[in-house]
Amino acid sequence: MSGSPVDIVVFAPLAPLFGVLLFWFIQLLFIESHKYQLSKIWEKHKPLCRFTNFLGILYQTVCHALGFTVTKSGISNFYISVDYGKVAPKKEKKGIFEWTSNAFLFVGPFFIPALLLFIVFFLIQNGSIEIAQSMEYTFAEGMINFGTNLYAFSEHLFLLLISIDLLHPPHIIFLILLIFLGMGIRPSYVGEEKRKKVNMLYDLYNIKVHIFQKPLYILLLFLIAYIFFYISVLLKTNWYTSLFSIFGWLSIIAIVSLIIAHMIIFLIKALDEISGLLKILPFFTLLLSYALMRLSLPSIIQNEYIASVSLFVMLFSTGAVILLLLKFTTNKFKPSMKMKELRVEDGPKRNIRK
Amino acid sequence: MDQNEILENERVEKSLSPHPLSFMRLQSLCLFLIIWGVLVGWLVNFSEFKDLFSGNEWFPILAWGLVLLLVGVIASLITIQWSIFFLFLGVFAGGLALMLSQGVLNESGVFIPFYSVAISILGFLIVELYRRSHKYIISNFRIIFKGGIITKRERTLRYDKITDIDAKQGVLGQIFGFGTIIPISQSGFGLGSDKSFAAGGINVGTKKVGFLGLFGGGKDVQTPRARSYYELHGVHPYKEVKKLVENLVQGHVITPYQQEQVAFQKEQVDIQKQMRDLLKKQMETKGEENESES
Repeated sequence: MSGSPVDIVVFAPLAPLFGVLLFWFIQLLFIESHKYQLSKIWEKHKPLCRFTNFLGILYQTVCHALGFTVTKSGISNFYISVDYGKVAPKKEKKGIFEWTSNAFLFVGPFFIPALLLFIVFFLIQNGSIEIAQSMEYTFAEGMINFGTNLYAFSEHLFLLLISIDLLHPPHIIFLILLIFLGMGIRPSYVGEEKRKKVNMLYDLYNIKVHIFQKPLYILLLFLIAYIFFYISVLLKTNWYTSLFSIFGWLSIIAIVSLIIAHMIIFLIKALDEISGLLKILPFFTLLLSYALMRLSLPSIIQNEYIASVSLFVMLFSTGAVILLLLKFTTNKFKPSMKMKELRVEDGPKRNIRK
Repeated sequence: MDQNEILENERVEKSLSPHPLSFMRLQSLCLFLIIWGVLVGWLVNFSEFKDLFSGNEWFPILAWGLVLLLVGVIASLITIQWSIFFLFLGVFAGGLALMLSQGVLNESGVFIPFYSVAISILGFLIVELYRRSHKYIISNFRIIFKGGIITKRERTLRYDKITDIDAKQGVLGQIFGFGTIIPISQSGFGLGSDKSFAAGGINVGTKKVGFLGLFGGGKDVQTPRARSYYELHGVHPYKEVKKLVENLVQGHVITPYQQEQVAFQKEQVDIQKQMRDLLKKQMETKGEENESES
């Protein structure tokens, strides 16, 4: 170990923590954008928005229930609807138990649903993810290792995503879960009624209140983290960075799912512009192009890229059909000529008043 | 609604049909058939486990049938409806019979997915036909329930005969805005009962002599339940319909104040009758006096 003792003892444990915070913040930004997009389509697509609300409330309620289970408070009442969820404990526990169950409620929805998808991902992906080994245990190395772990995971995740086979049931399950996660991973409500908890700042405020309610617990958590780091250093293992890397991976899964949810909302918004039966044409293209490619390609070529090529053709052809429909059936891509240019065409002396 | 069916001064407030997704319980059976059939096709033909099924031509059929029947039993137990089990048994028996008659036992990996999809499409069509056979008419006098594909059933319920209104909305209903409203009549129409029974058996005795002791207990819980053609099943927009029905029921129920008024009016009528009788009597006695004077 060639790092300075101050770096190793004081700053190094903070490196992966900062990394997680950074990715979690990116996740929050995506969630905020997702909520904004959903609120834009609320009027036209109420059932879809209600469904996403239901998913969000489901995640939140399940996380809260999990918090009560972990703290052994028990669950006496579990209620969930499309706009409201409530979990009541059997025993009202105070202190660290209450704090922990609330932590599950406020922070859980960001990571716990993603954890489910992470498990599915591990079950269906081929090969294991390489974990970076620590040598110096410095702040910089901690950051680098955290980044390397995230890169290794992202590589596997994106490889799976671009080669996702829609004729492979586990892949379909993974994709559906990914979409469901993206659609519902938000702790706030989007709806016709203006509610107080509608933005990211409210969520952050909740977490801040939660933290400052019991600062001692946070100090305790930091202490545990530091001790865990020192144990990792003494045993010359990379457990500490690996643990935080898992949170980073969960954030990446959440961000990817949110990007996919955004794509779906954009597709819906684009289809809203098209009127009549032509609206179903992109859906036909989506299914037909994939089925054609996926079923015909194996007889032409025999390689591992069949699913990827089919996926690419499906996305490209659907995108092209939507663009063509927008161009020829709507005013979307028509040039808007400036009045100045029109005046030149008509002649400069022409004046309506005259 | 046929004009002949409308009573004098009757006005139709709403004519409704169940929402397309309100029969999801039946539709989900078809969905399960498709998913499991396709999954069997994938397992047998493309998956990493396909070697497991290549040993014997009966393996895929047995796997398909076993899961089908197992799910049928579980679904039947949960919903207390054995028709689901017999439906799945019928699907399995039909598929098996077709495979045997056509001699395609070797091709079960291809046959099962196509057969499942075909049967499910048929199932979806029947469910849709069944849904469309339902018609609910809410008028200012009564609610008329109609339904049934082959046997047409009809129920007419006057608002003054409704004692209770049970309303429920599942998750899909909350998302799409539909729900079920069960008007319970004074006769108890619209009420069902959930029965549960627990039994335990014990074999007491030696090798030669033994007896079986059986202990049991049952429980009955009254719950609002009716056939889909005897309730407002999956109606949309749920909240609006519920409010309308409740208003109409309220409009046909005599409130305590109204009861007081009716009693008062009756009292007034009685007094007036008595006065009329007295006047009549007076007139008669006057007439008699005049006659005797003359």
